[in-house]
Amino acid sequence: MKIAAIESATAASSVALVDATGVVASARRIDRRGHVGFLVPALDFCFSQAGWAPGDLDAVAVDVGPGLFSGIRAGIATAQAVAGAVGVPLIPVSSLDAVALGAATGHRRIWALIDVRRGEVAAGAYRPVPGGVVRDGAAELIGPEALRATLESDRTDALVVGEWQALPAATLRGLHGVKTGRPRYPAAAAVADIARNRVEKGEAPHPDEVRPRYMREPDVTINWSDYREEGPWA
Amino acid sequence: MSGPIILGLETSCDETAIGVVRDGVVLSNVLSSQVDDHARFGGVVPEVAARAHVEAIRSLTHRALRDAGIHQLDVDAVAATRGPGLAGALMVGFSYGKAMAWALDRPFLGVDHMEGHLFAPTLEHPGFEPPAIVLLASGGHSQIVLTRAWGDYETVGATIDDAAGEAFDKVARFLGLGFPGGPAIDRASDGGDATSIDFPRALGDRPTDLSFSGLKTAVVTFVRRHHEAGDLPPLSDVAAAVQEAIVDVLVAKTMNAVEQTGVKVVAGGGGVLANRRLRQRLTEACAARGIRLFLPSPILCTDNGAMVAAAAAFRLERGETSPLDSEVDSSLRLGS
Repeated sequence: MKIAAIESATAASSVALVDATGVVASARRIDRRGHVGFLVPALDFCFSQAGWAPGDLDAVAVDVGPGLFSGIRAGIATAQAVAGAVGVPLIPVSSLDAVALGAATGHRRIWALIDVRRGEVAAGAYRPVPGGVVRDGAAELIGPEALRATLESDRTDALVVGEWQALPAATLRGLHGVKTGRPRYPAAAAVADIARNRVEKGEAPHPDEVRPRYMREPDVTINWSDYREEGPWA
Repeated sequence: MSGPIILGLETSCDETAIGVVRDGVVLSNVLSSQVDDHARFGGVVPEVAARAHVEAIRSLTHRALRDAGIHQLDVDAVAATRGPGLAGALMVGFSYGKAMAWALDRPFLGVDHMEGHLFAPTLEHPGFEPPAIVLLASGGHSQIVLTRAWGDYETVGATIDDAAGEAFDKVARFLGLGFPGGPAIDRASDGGDATSIDFPRALGDRPTDLSFSGLKTAVVTFVRRHHEAGDLPPLSDVAAAVQEAIVDVLVAKTMNAVEQTGVKVVAGGGGVLANRRLRQRLTEACAARGIRLFLPSPILCTDNGAMVAAAAAFRLERGETSPLDSEVDSSLRLGS
């Protein structure tokens, strides 16, 4: 099975081609604003490295967030176009799942964090199991104090991965049984791995169901005084 | 031998719009308007626009292909608006178009939105050829462009503050008429007396430049004063007078540009050119001077994918394509 994975939900963007043997080609760049310029050249590079053509694909996988809104959209638009052009399923993957899978070793409970700015991170807890991780609770947006309180009250040893460096330094300092680690960003290879399992189980969501996972309403600033200014005929 | 079939994607503002064009003929032109998404905010919200584009782009592209009666493999080139516009909105159509072109092994072209508007009249008027003076006016831009030849443009006049459509929006919001303001004021002006109130026409000393920010202030002042005095004229009179003030300026400055340059052809594009009164006044002004006028239908005045495809066809014929690593440019300037 040949899968192309596209990941651009954080400051890092990556593309990976995987088949039954593992990762065949991959490319990665860290540039918060560079998603649109990177993804298609990266696909082109990887396909040429692998000697694949788009028509060889069995599925396309894409990171749908949470993360940077415009990065997520660039990734989804790119992935939808490629999947649509070659007529294969498009598999949506969570950025938190991809980060957690990249840390799937040992016995510790894994906390995957993605920077969503404005003083919050998206956080998801995972349990390592043979061959991967399973979700251990729903993902949520959380501030530094609440995250610290959660980790303090949890008696299980924890491994915090992802964009924990986005948190104030004091957030994780001195917590008993809590370690920080890698990966820092979700990787397309992990996105592809997750998608492969789901394709093998027969998952093929309708392409319109593949949408960004923002976890937050748009930030709309309205000039209310102006907006409420209504004429005498209103 | 027929020319290439071009798919054009437009996502620079609040319309997801896709068109298919071949040899200057529109094979399909579909759009998903977000007006209702933005109306409650009284204007276009960039993040709301970008979200709506990514929801719509895939299915709308398929609809455009279906309406054109073609398969995606029939597409010879894919084009998408590169700018100007809202960065997050542009990225959706640009990413989609670039990836589709790559996966189908077709050329990709990033198109200047304003050049798209310049090409829109060609889709219905095969006789439209430069040199021409083109009035481009919408909610996001207002400029007068001398098109010497295709690809050779000079902006001879531009707004120094608000765009014409923005003036319509702001005044309509103040008058409680809703968003978008242009059509709302157009409707509200029915039966009104445009000559009953003389709102200011700005920048009389700069023949081809535009300014609309003073108009809203004048309307607010006028309405408050007369409301307090108890002699407020009917809404239709105010709306008609506002519309006339904006139209007057657009027509006069366009005609000044005609006189300055000596060209014999005028065209228009952008959402404001869908305004009935503006179309009527431009028609009269051009007829009086023996100038040929080419106005697209309203559906091709507002943002659309067909115009993007039309501009791309010209660029493709010149052998131009965009590299895979190209990016959007939200502040792209025509002719630069």
